[in-house]
Amino acid sequence: MKDLKHLYYFENLLMDADNELVRQAQAEGRVCVGSVCYQIPEVLMNLGNAFTVRLRAPRTGSMEMGTYYLTSLLCEYSRALLERAIEGGYQFLDCLMAPDGCTMINRCVENMELLKMNEKEHFFYQYLEVPMKADENGLNLYIGQCRSKILEPLHEKFGIDISDEALRKAVEEHNKICRLITELGNFRKEEKPRITGYEFHIITMCTYVCPHDLLIEKLEETLEEVKNRQPDEKWPFRARVAVVGSEIDDIDMIKLVEDSGAYVCADRFCFGSLPGRQEIILNDEEDVLTQICRQYMMSCMCPRHMDTPKMNRRREYVDEIAKEYKADGIIYEQMKFCDPWAYERMVGSHVLRDEYGYPVLTIDRPYAVGNSGQLRTRVQAFVESIEIKKIQGGRK
Amino acid sequence: MGKAVGSSQLGKLYSGDKKVFKHREWRGIKDTWYDYTRWLGIMAMLGKFMLHPKNVKGFFRYRWMLNYLAVPMMIDKHSMGLRGPQLRICREEYDLVASDVAKLLTKIFSMDQNLGAKPEKSKHVVLMDENEMTNIMCGFPNLEGLSWETASCYVCVLLQGDAMTHYLDVVQECGMPGDVCPMPASEAGICIDGDMPIFGKCAVQCNTTCDGSLMGNGVISRALERNGIPVHQLATPLRHTEPGVQEYAAQEVRNAIAFIEEQTGEKFDWDYYFECAKRINIGARECSEWLELSKTDYPQVIGNNILLYRETEYMAIAGKVPAFAELDKKITKMATEAYKNKTMLAKEYRHRAVIWGVQSQFYTDFVAWLLNCWGILPLFDMLTMVSLDPISEDDKEQAYYDMAHQYENMIMRNRTHGGYEVLLDDLWRYCEEFNADMVILWEHIACKALDGMHGMFEQQAREHGIKLVWVNHDLYDPRVIPRKNLRQDVNRYMRSVLREEPLDPTLEDYDDTNLW
Repeated sequence: MKDLKHLYYFENLLMDADNELVRQAQAEGRVCVGSVCYQIPEVLMNLGNAFTVRLRAPRTGSMEMGTYYLTSLLCEYSRALLERAIEGGYQFLDCLMAPDGCTMINRCVENMELLKMNEKEHFFYQYLEVPMKADENGLNLYIGQCRSKILEPLHEKFGIDISDEALRKAVEEHNKICRLITELGNFRKEEKPRITGYEFHIITMCTYVCPHDLLIEKLEETLEEVKNRQPDEKWPFRARVAVVGSEIDDIDMIKLVEDSGAYVCADRFCFGSLPGRQEIILNDEEDVLTQICRQYMMSCMCPRHMDTPKMNRRREYVDEIAKEYKADGIIYEQMKFCDPWAYERMVGSHVLRDEYGYPVLTIDRPYAVGNSGQLRTRVQAFVESIEIKKIQGGRK
Repeated sequence: MGKAVGSSQLGKLYSGDKKVFKHREWRGIKDTWYDYTRWLGIMAMLGKFMLHPKNVKGFFRYRWMLNYLAVPMMIDKHSMGLRGPQLRICREEYDLVASDVAKLLTKIFSMDQNLGAKPEKSKHVVLMDENEMTNIMCGFPNLEGLSWETASCYVCVLLQGDAMTHYLDVVQECGMPGDVCPMPASEAGICIDGDMPIFGKCAVQCNTTCDGSLMGNGVISRALERNGIPVHQLATPLRHTEPGVQEYAAQEVRNAIAFIEEQTGEKFDWDYYFECAKRINIGARECSEWLELSKTDYPQVIGNNILLYRETEYMAIAGKVPAFAELDKKITKMATEAYKNKTMLAKEYRHRAVIWGVQSQFYTDFVAWLLNCWGILPLFDMLTMVSLDPISEDDKEQAYYDMAHQYENMIMRNRTHGGYEVLLDDLWRYCEEFNADMVILWEHIACKALDGMHGMFEQQAREHGIKLVWVNHDLYDPRVIPRKNLRQDVNRYMRSVLREEPLDPTLEDYDDTNLW
């Protein structure tokens, strides 16, 4: 296929946490809110004059300082972020909001605070207690925490409008992005998709790390371009896979999978679109914040949600997206040393294989995959096994 | 070897190829006789236990039961070097805990569907996590809150270090990485291996200490529900020191109680709850007394004598067994008397140490070694420092908040969750309060919550002028870091940094590879 016109531009935006659009927004006097997890509702930080950047540590090399503070047994995402913070890579932030999501990311941010990693005078940290069950009690907690730890500090420190009208406007803007990404993502359902998993991943990631309003024009152009794009006569992939698991913000990861012959048709991971880029539907009867929180709580697929319905739902959801996006197999991945995904990967892979009948590959991986020969071999072998199953008429 | 404290060469008791000591420790006639008769009592308890046919069945059905042969040896290890009142406190505590565990096992096997029991037999049982508070069961006098993990996993590793290695292999064969905490991983391994006793009307799980523990519950709940045992998850807030989460926490407790009522048909009995609350308060008051003594030059209830006993009493007993409250008072009496007599636990105290972090479950008697070998006084450990706040003995509404508070402050989770303040700031505060010059910091290598503060511990210890000694271990898996290496961590520090000589040189290096 012909290269996307703006792909290089999007790739470049991912080369630095403090990218071109972030710098532009800050030059205009806007407030940059750092976050580290899906469970801090993004829409509440893209409010008025504020915009959010979910933290990444692109081009990570050595993590020696991060490893000193966190030891070599914490996940590399945490260590890479701390390393980057110590290097001064997040000086551009105006505040940082972290949930008590997983312990490791929480400790990472606490270390940043203790090491006084940001020199801005009014810089502050907020830690949110986010629900671990999807029920009314959890929702009440979520609302209270979002109000007192996100909205009120943004208002008090930066004078940001946190009225219902402002929230509705933020949701509207958020939904525009979601519609664009969903529409782009829907092309992955085609028999010969006109967008690769890699391209989609790059574009989706940009929406997590750039001010939305500055990105939207390029996204709209890209959507138009993809609509009119002609897929290659000969499809270069040998199987379709859904990638499920923990945080992936490494631009090489999906590329590696696709270079190994597996088309990534569905992205159920942090920094992916499933969930994350679904519209927030508001009604007029209920308080806006409540509606936002409920939708985040219900759609969250993080393994730290501990109630049985949610645990079962996580595996059902993988089955649903695998069907919807016509996946031949599932790759369960986890960042090495991630406890929640270690368990979810083990259980989920058995459930999806034994109860739903999918071929499943499970992998653990470093933060920066690079050009890992080991991973490439495993994905290639998985693709071959799917092909053999197809030839022999095995399950799925 | 003799009557006086510190007169034994304890390292000579070890033999590399045996599971037990070469011979019993000689502590003078009076103490040796006392210790021996208590040892006989434990042997009699074991014998009586094995007379019960269901227990014999359980013994042959479950691989983990073999570890219980090591009960007498476990108590011997934990009482090494003790004399006089400390020996008596130790024996009283451990014997009571051992008898409580024996009762737990007998109950489990009499109701276990794997051993042929009918589900009706356990309709009065609510299953709880091993690391979970059981105080919500204080309102159900006709029900019992039991933990199968305590019997099959937690106690087993105390008894025999490598008790869980088979189950860790099982879970890793299923795809679990080797870097997760081996405690929940081995529980999951037991489930997968089919070695989980099946009993109980329903279960209340809780997010206890860490992400691993939370996620391990997912494996267990699948196994329970497959066996027709409904599971409720009680989500306790992580940032437990914040006022904004307390209503949520109390509501979680209300919801869990409602679940138990619905499943069992029992109603929450406030009279029984407040009766237990009184005993919980007694436990807290007496423990405060012991800690007050530890601030003086003559601490009495320290190290192993506070560690496992207080853990058991705080969470598993939670005021439901009167014998514990009675023993608490007795211990205070003995300790106060010993304090007046300026009784020492070693011939010399060189350092006053706070034991922080997560203890090595396969080497809990390590703190006795610290004292006997190097004269490091283990004042208290992190797991002991839980909530000592009095709870209401008559206010029903307040009681929900009290129960929630204790759930939030379960052992270990009150430090692994709640922000760095409860892990770091509290440590330095305790060091000052207890006049400690040293911190022995257990580094459980798979505990991400503790590891995540590694650098800050070092940095802040330097700032506070505290001697910080890291002791690495892997909680349940001595294959990763054996006991000898734990001792080496301290030996190296004492020799090369502090340039000290051991109090008992026979303990500096010995072979306990095969010891239970």
